[in-house]
Amino acid sequence: MSATTTRLGAASRHVAPEAGRARRRRFANLAATVLCAVATAILLAALVSILVTLVSRGLGGLHLSTFTRMTSPPGSGGGLLNPIVGSIIQTVLAVLVGAPVGLLAGVFLAEFGTGSWVADVVRFVSDMLLSAPSILVGLFVYLILVGPVGHFSGFAGAMSLAILVIPIVVRTTEDMLRLVPTSMREAAAALGAPRWKVVMLICVRAARKGIATGILLAVARVSGETAPLLFTSLGNLSWSVNLNAPMSSLPVTIYQYAGSAYDDWVQLAWTAALLITAGVLIINIIARLGLGGRDST
Amino acid sequence: MNDQIGQNAAARPQQGVSFAQTRGAPQALAPGRAMLSLRGLDFYYGANHALKNISIDFPEQRVTGLIGPSGCGKSTLLRVMNRMYDLYPGQRATGEVLLDGQNIIAPGTDTNALRSRVGMVFQKPTPFPMSIFDNVAFGVRLHESLDRAAMEARIEDALRRVALWAEVKDRLRAPAAALSGGQQQRLCIARTIATRPEVILLDEPTSALDPISTARIEELLDELKVEFTIAIVTHNLQQAARCADQVAFFYMGELVEVAPADRLFTAPREKRTQDYITGRFG
Repeated sequence: MSATTTRLGAASRHVAPEAGRARRRRFANLAATVLCAVATAILLAALVSILVTLVSRGLGGLHLSTFTRMTSPPGSGGGLLNPIVGSIIQTVLAVLVGAPVGLLAGVFLAEFGTGSWVADVVRFVSDMLLSAPSILVGLFVYLILVGPVGHFSGFAGAMSLAILVIPIVVRTTEDMLRLVPTSMREAAAALGAPRWKVVMLICVRAARKGIATGILLAVARVSGETAPLLFTSLGNLSWSVNLNAPMSSLPVTIYQYAGSAYDDWVQLAWTAALLITAGVLIINIIARLGLGGRDST
Repeated sequence: MNDQIGQNAAARPQQGVSFAQTRGAPQALAPGRAMLSLRGLDFYYGANHALKNISIDFPEQRVTGLIGPSGCGKSTLLRVMNRMYDLYPGQRATGEVLLDGQNIIAPGTDTNALRSRVGMVFQKPTPFPMSIFDNVAFGVRLHESLDRAAMEARIEDALRRVALWAEVKDRLRAPAAALSGGQQQRLCIARTIATRPEVILLDEPTSALDPISTARIEELLDELKVEFTIAIVTHNLQQAARCADQVAFFYMGELVEVAPADRLFTAPREKRTQDYITGRFG
């Protein structure tokens, strides 16, 4: 290549700056490619390192008894049954409460509130909530659902998670609905469909994959949340599925066990972390398979 | 194409008959009666006066072609006739748009019912994110509650009319998005005629299609005009000459000239029409 450049430069003087520019561009291109590759490598290294650590430390503690036994005092061979069940109950309840609210609010912002100051305020508040520290949400729920009642409860835990679910679903629902082309709305309206049917039967349907992904993101986010549960569902060392009583959960168990002085508790904390990660991964895979196969948009 | 439809009607007599009955036996009416009449129509996008004092008749069982350079107001005119402009604030129309003698731009008009009588097909095919069957059934379900058998008959009928039945009858439950562009556009036409409108508005329905799909849609218009009043916006003058019985030329928001297609293209009365069809501007 450089030989060509030299020959060109020798042949006529006015070509020389062209060749210099080409060389500069090739260099810039190479530099950008290398920088991107390095950044990707750093990211991947961190991710792989986390996953490898998680699997190597967590897998050793994974036995059948992990899923069949309750948490118990150190040295007595406890499992994670009550935190697993508690986490599932609180997460599911949080999504059942938060996802519909977030979905409808997102629909309002994208379809009905365009240009109104109410929508602007709602969007702003929702975005604030999205980045608010989750411990604040825990304190808020503590003040309204724990303090007045006088005791911690699984319900309060689920509600604090629901508050975290809402802004995520609002944001993704609105973004996904805005991607639905206006022509599709007009086509439905041209058949004589009233506004709400255009939105609920056509637009939400067209955006359903993105909306579902948003809900899954929310599940992934709240299933690892610890701070909002500390003041609300507290954690429970024995079996309880009573929503009106303190309820165990995997993140809180990790929080309690990982810092403890007992090797078997630390081991269980690693295993619990592995379970959360695997759970989120499995939910994502199932959703992708389920949604991807029947995609028609 | 005609033969095929004839055979279908013979094979499913009850269906053909019921369609004719609800349509009020169009053959009995004198062709040429104005189904849709515009009188002194003005249209505004905010302060922009987009259509100026338009008066034109759309005769029943005829194809009216609307031609003119971009931005001349022809698409706007279509969007007035099914009150599509209602979806957007700041757009308003004054004057009269008479559908069977009734002014549809008057306040108090039920726009959803109106749109079931005046259907619209858009430039780009817009299949809904659902199955082929549900796409066609969507509009019908909005206005009628048919039992399963009647709905299936209605959908088969609509798909046969657009010559799509043979291609999709084995995959009615497949997503409509899997169809080709030309098939999608015919599906959109089927979706429109399934609600049994009186008028069909087509806004450059073939501009996104290949020549073969375009030819099929043009053939289709010829068959559909037996039952429907059709208005088609097109940039393609050959298409207007091929399909339309009557052609209207618009320029800068004004209706310059409206005449039978053969006369407008061979002996236009207005100089602006002459200039446009001979390619001097636009």
